[in-house]
Amino acid sequence: MRREAVVVGIGRTAFSKASGRTPLAMAAEAARAALDDAGMPATEVDGVIDFHTSDSAAATDVGRAIGAVDLGLAMDVTGGGNVAVTVVGQALAAVQAGACDTVVVFRSLNGRSGNRYGKGDRPAVQMRGDLQFAALHGYVIPSMWIAMFAQRQKHVFGLTDEDFGHIAITTRKHATANPHAMQRTPLDMETYLSSRWINEPFRLYDCCLETDGAVALIVTTRERAGHLRQTPIRVAGFGEAHTNGGSWTAFPDMSQMYSAYAAKRLWNSTDLRPSDIDVACMYDCFTATTMATVGDFGLCPRGETGTFFAEGKATYGGEVVVNPHGGLLSEGYLHGLNHHYEAVLQLRGQAGERQVRGAEHALVTAGAGPSGGALIYEVAP
Amino acid sequence: MSTPSNAAVPAPPMPLIDADSIGFWEATREGRIALCRCTDCGTWLGRPLERCSQCAGPTAFADVAGTGTVYSYIVVHSPSVPAFAHLVPYVVALVELAEGPRLPGILLGERGAGVSIGDPVQGELIEVASMEERALAFRRTPS
Repeated sequence: MRREAVVVGIGRTAFSKASGRTPLAMAAEAARAALDDAGMPATEVDGVIDFHTSDSAAATDVGRAIGAVDLGLAMDVTGGGNVAVTVVGQALAAVQAGACDTVVVFRSLNGRSGNRYGKGDRPAVQMRGDLQFAALHGYVIPSMWIAMFAQRQKHVFGLTDEDFGHIAITTRKHATANPHAMQRTPLDMETYLSSRWINEPFRLYDCCLETDGAVALIVTTRERAGHLRQTPIRVAGFGEAHTNGGSWTAFPDMSQMYSAYAAKRLWNSTDLRPSDIDVACMYDCFTATTMATVGDFGLCPRGETGTFFAEGKATYGGEVVVNPHGGLLSEGYLHGLNHHYEAVLQLRGQAGERQVRGAEHALVTAGAGPSGGALIYEVAP
Repeated sequence: MSTPSNAAVPAPPMPLIDADSIGFWEATREGRIALCRCTDCGTWLGRPLERCSQCAGPTAFADVAGTGTVYSYIVVHSPSVPAFAHLVPYVVALVELAEGPRLPGILLGERGAGVSIGDPVQGELIEVASMEERALAFRRTPS
């Protein structure tokens, strides 16, 4: 019989603007917190997988830091939020294949005090490949690339500024009930519309919050999970798409994103339908990412995401609660691994004041533009 | 941008030119806009490749007129990239060239108002302070 892999632990550090710590120290803390949550000793860890953009700690170093020195899997995946589902998928696959038994999945970064994604002078980013044709126009940071998609969305679907505003406002409202969120001050449309331009059509509140911190998950076998502290969570559907060479300029229809392709794999992998999703932790580096992906994954018709939010369908009492933790926009930019943390918390019924009642299926998406993925979590029967 | 004398302006991020793309950059030194094209099947390749992605045939750089339309555009307000901080607000357009590939470039003389998706544009090469290669920029043309 095939081994089944499940998520049994979640952990994280404080989120801040200036951690004063190394990514290694934060990764080790998050990993230990996730092991404590699961009720497992670190000596059981025989796999570590993470993702990075040359701004993190290596899997082998984190293994050593928590006392797991003999790893059957040690994998550093190069990538941004587009691989925040990939790493979980690879951990599940490694356990199911028998390559190892217990895997720490982590993301750790000083995204605010260290290597800021919103700055154009990041030494880690080399202007090779497609980027060589962007360098001499300063077209080198994510808030520019995704704004290019947003302008196309506005053009194709006739979207208003308010359509984007509703996403930012609802997401912030959710964050007000999350003590871990970086921003908990309620946002209204007037404040949204009067905030400064970053790269038009993006205003300040269309952009996520660069953050220092770490998040970790523990993946192990279903059999082992039966003896642990928490309700095990399994993956009921999975689909990635890495299109057009990951090019920010060559994506065929920029009113859509990778999600137009990943949605086919996701929904082909499961009998579940979009209407079965209770919680959707949508990767939201920018409002436009939520705008495209909510439609592409079929939670609402394409081009109607703004209306979906405006009519209260993306919040408590609506059709699906999108980013109950406040997402990257308001909880913090932990590069999407915080979305997995929230999904697991919600399915266990441990989300406190922001608990989505009766949450059975949680969609987690990762990435923006040409490359990303999604999975559906549920309680393992 | 076109005046190479301003020493106070930091150099832009430098493109890492490689063996596949050097034909594009060499052409800019001579004032030509050139795109990579398969010499067997004629496919235009936005990102230069040694062999064609469609038929694996050999490729070469062919001169193009540099005409196209605005596929999308942004108005850069954030002074995030030091070399361009003094230009804000300025417009970067993603231009769909007549041959098919898209390339980004500054839309010269624009600050945002009046620019629309679908506007016809003409490419031109502008000098960069720190290198012999030139940058591809665009200017709106009457439709």
